[in-house]
This record gives sequence, C-alpha cells and structure tokens, in this order.
Amino acid sequence: MAVYGRSYRRYSGETTPAWSRFLILPRYAYETVFKSKLFLIFYALCFLVPFVGLLYIYLCNNLNVLSFLQVPESELTEFFTIGKAFFYRGMWIQGAASFILVFLVGPAVVAPDLRNNGLALYLSRPFARSEYVLGKLSVLLILLSSITWVPGLLLFGFQAVQDPKWLMPHLGLAFAVFVGSWTWILFLSLLALTISAWVKWMPVARIAMAVLFFVSIGFANAINEMLDTWWGHLISAWYPMASIWISLFGMPPSDNVPPAAASWAALAVGSVLCLWLLSRRIRAYEVVR
Amino acid sequence: MQRNPIALEPAVAADRRVVIDNVSKFYGEVLGINNVHLSIPPGITGLVGPNGSGKTTLMNLMVGLIQPTRGSIRILGVPTDRPEELFRMVGYSTQYDAFPPGLTGYEFVYSFLRIYGFGHEDADRMTWESIGRVGLTEAAERKVAGYSKGMRQRIKLAQSIAHHPWVLILDEPLNGLDPMARAEVIALFRELADAGMHVIVSSHILHEVDLISDQVVLINGGYIVAEGDIGGVRDEMEEEHPVQVLIRCDKPSLLASKVFEHDHVVEARLHEGGLLVRTRNADRFYMLLNQVVLETGLTVETVMPTDADANAIYQYLIGETS
Repeated sequence: MAVYGRSYRRYSGETTPAWSRFLILPRYAYETVFKSKLFLIFYALCFLVPFVGLLYIYLCNNLNVLSFLQVPESELTEFFTIGKAFFYRGMWIQGAASFILVFLVGPAVVAPDLRNNGLALYLSRPFARSEYVLGKLSVLLILLSSITWVPGLLLFGFQAVQDPKWLMPHLGLAFAVFVGSWTWILFLSLLALTISAWVKWMPVARIAMAVLFFVSIGFANAINEMLDTWWGHLISAWYPMASIWISLFGMPPSDNVPPAAASWAALAVGSVLCLWLLSRRIRAYEVVR
Repeated sequence: MQRNPIALEPAVAADRRVVIDNVSKFYGEVLGINNVHLSIPPGITGLVGPNGSGKTTLMNLMVGLIQPTRGSIRILGVPTDRPEELFRMVGYSTQYDAFPPGLTGYEFVYSFLRIYGFGHEDADRMTWESIGRVGLTEAAERKVAGYSKGMRQRIKLAQSIAHHPWVLILDEPLNGLDPMARAEVIALFRELADAGMHVIVSSHILHEVDLISDQVVLINGGYIVAEGDIGGVRDEMEEEHPVQVLIRCDKPSLLASKVFEHDHVVEARLHEGGLLVRTRNADRFYMLLNQVVLETGLTVETVMPTDADANAIYQYLIGETS
C-alpha cells in the first residue's frame, strides 16, 4: 500500500450562484445553431415583419411624410391606425415564424446528448435534471423571445413614445403580447424538447413535429365533422392558440375556434404531458432490457 | 454577483473512505448489483469484472447518477443524494464518448467547469491546468470531433480532474490509449493517488489493473466476489486454488523430492527447465525453499509466482463461473 502524502489540495474559492448555471447550456448551443446558414437567413427574415411594423408606426405618427402622395390626411388616418388588429396580426405572423424556427432548431436540442450518452456528463455535476431541462428549454425560449414578445413590446414602446396619449388606453395590448407570446413559445419549446428527447433521429423528429401540427388540423376537423362538436379543435395546437390570441387582444369571436377557457386548459394539459414525458426520458442512465 | 463559498473540507477530513453499505440496485426486475459492501481507502482501486457484471452500475451509484434500491453510499462522508456537495468532490468520466457537438477540447473542459459554478478566470486557469496534465495543451483549441480515440480519453480525463475532486471515478479510462499515452495516464493516476486522492478505475486490461492498483474489487453478476490488495485476495484463495510458483534452479528434481514431502505442497512437476510447485501455503513454501537451498546448496535463478496476479485471480473467481 502506498504511503499517502495527503498533499492534494482542492479548489477553495467561491462559485457562481446555482440558479445561473443553466445559462451555460444555451451559450454553447447558440454557437452551433448560428453556424447554419439556413437558420441564419431565416432568423434574419423573422425581423422583417417587426421592421415593417416599425416603419408603419413611424408613418402613422408622421403622416406629413406621405404628403407627396397628395392623399387627404383623413383618408390616411383611416388606413394608418395602431391598435389591437395591428398587434394581433403581427403576433400571429411572428407566432408562425416561431414554429418554423423551432422546426429547424428544436430536434437538435436534446437528441445529440441522448444519442451520445451525454446526460451522465451533465448530471454528474451539481446540476439537476430540472436545470438541464431549463437550460435546454432556454435555448429555444431565448431565441423565440427575440422574435416574438421582445419586438412586440419594442413596437409597443415605440408607439408609446411617438404618441404618449396612446399608451394608457392600450396597456392591455402589451399584456396580450407578453402573455400570448409566452404561452405559445413555452408550449412550442416544451413540445420540441419532448420530441427531441424521444426521437433521437433529427429528420424523424422534424416529421413528428410536422405531423403533430399539421396532420392534427385535419384530424381535428374530422372529429368535429363526425361528432358534430367543437372540442376536436383542442387536439391541434393552432386552434387553441388562435382562441387565446383572440381573447387576449379582444378581437371579435370566431366560430372556428374553441372557447378560450378550454384552449388554456388544452395547452396546459399538453405542457404537463410534455413535462411528464421529459421526466421519463431525461435520466442519467438508460436501462436496456 | 453573489457567490457561494464551498464548505466541504470538514466532512472530507472526518471520513476519508468511500463506503458502500449493503447496496443493491434493481432496474425493475433486472439485477444491477446486490448486497455490495465496500470500504475503499485512498489510492488506486481497480474495479474488474466481465461485461454486464455491474461495474458501471456501481460507478453510477457512487456518483449519485442513480440511487440504490437498498442500502446507502457515502463518499468521504457525504451521501450520494446531496449532489451539490457530492459532485464537488467527485470527478467522473463515463466509458462513452459523450461530447456536446462542435466544442473544442478547451471549451469542453471549460464549459463543464462553468456548470460547476466556477467563474470565468478560475475556470480558464483550471482548464489549462488540467489539459496540461493530460498532455493536450497543443490540441486544446481543436474540435473534439477531430480527436483520436486516445485524445478523447485524455480530454475526458482532463474534464474529470479539472475541478480538483477528491475522488476520481473513471469507467474504462485506458481504452484506446497508445502505450506512451497509457504510461503517462497511469503515471498521472499514481501521482494523484499518492497525493491522497481516491482513483477508482474500471478496466478490462487486467495486466494494467495489476500494475496500477493498490487494491482491486472483482465483481461478477452483480455480486462482489473479492476485494482487497491483490496479494491478500490471492492468499485467501490458497485452499481452493493452490498458488503456483515456478522455480528455475540447477537441480529441479532434487528440489521436487524435498518439497513434495510437505502437506501444503499439492503438486510439484518439472516444467520448462524448472520446477512448477502448487502449494496451499505460499509463505510456508518460501520458508521451505530457503531451508532446502541452505541444506542442499541449490543454485536458484528465479522464483516466480505464476498465478498471483489480477489475471489469475480473475480467471479463478470469474472465468470459471462464467
């Protein structure tokens, strides 16, 4: 037996707060994500609508710029109005862009770690499964935030600066942008993470996402037709989300979407299901029977 | 930024063993390990067993990645269900090549140090220090994906020692290393062990386990079949598996006649110009040999136990049952 010198000394300094460590994961994930030219082009395109919105708001508040058109200002005012319809449409477009972005990035978030038996590597640190999920979720949440509620609120702020009297009567719009966006991006991210965790092969994961989102629309309509009901819409994420956007922005109700309360419940149940599936899959080991 | 001081040293000072107390682990109906009792002191411990014997399960239990179905594990006094404390004192390297895509060797070590909670400057310094210890400084800025198998093993080792753990648990760390790299890594193990660390290594390369280990743990079918230093384990098997000693001398026949009179010698036969003796008591046999040499004036060239190494123990305890 060797004689041990006990000369080994450990690090005795200080460490960063535990709550912030999950942010290490997105930092390295973005390096990989932004290497894809396809992604980069699409990500840039995602800012086109907010940019057009910015111009639109500027024009709404500076109609004199359009004097060269020689159109009476009353007619221009009728066209250039900033209100709930402007933000509702904008958030719908950004919401759809979020789906495409998740379609591109989502399947690659967790699958490589599972494929490489990499979870043991993360979880043999002072790093819980929940922190791992949070870290991976934040990869998508930060990306999606940058094209949804962040530009939405910036446009809202820009309009408020242009017309301070507009702010108070329209504060509810900011709430709608923020809450609606978070509901959508959280659900999308959880779903993408779950698919990525269960379907290790990326092309198949993408197909699974597409099936869940598009085939479910047809399925939902078939159920409604056959059973003469509305709840079939709840199995497709689009309809509940449409209902939530409509209720948050106070848009005229539509017969083609389920009630708002049922829609909130459907997305909540879907999210809980995703979390449960993630908890089954995100483990440091895999038992092969 | 608010920072958390690490306060682990008192626990480490109080209990310097890895204690596995009556631990069983079942995956549903599948047995991982059963009734394992171990108390591992500092030094290099070789964990040896065939595929599927439970080595990785035992290692996963030691690092708290899975919790035992029954029993408890304490790493230097810290239970494995306290990850914040545990993982500061444990370094783990899996047998798999588990590398997040696109990272360089430096980023691989550095990013996991950041997950431990080290600030940028400390993490940077510790990364270079550990990469230097495994001899990968020049390749540190290259992508891990372009590394050879041996380089991957070494960068995994670097990330497992980078945070200055007390206990190093390494699953098959010598696989894929060329002889030079293997010698360097073994020297590093020895250096760390001599400095007071626990280095627990699983391996199939019995010859190297024999060379590097201060103690061995033999596991088969989820059960510990032997533990302790190799000599001690071999001594305990003398009754069932008499020790073989090869003696090369000038008069092997004379030696055979002298030693065969004794009860503990169960076999003596001429073998490749020497005498191969099987005895149930090696210590008594060596005393006897000294006596015979003095009495007869034999010229002895070599005295060599032929089955007192890890390989032989493995064969006796595991090879015969599998």
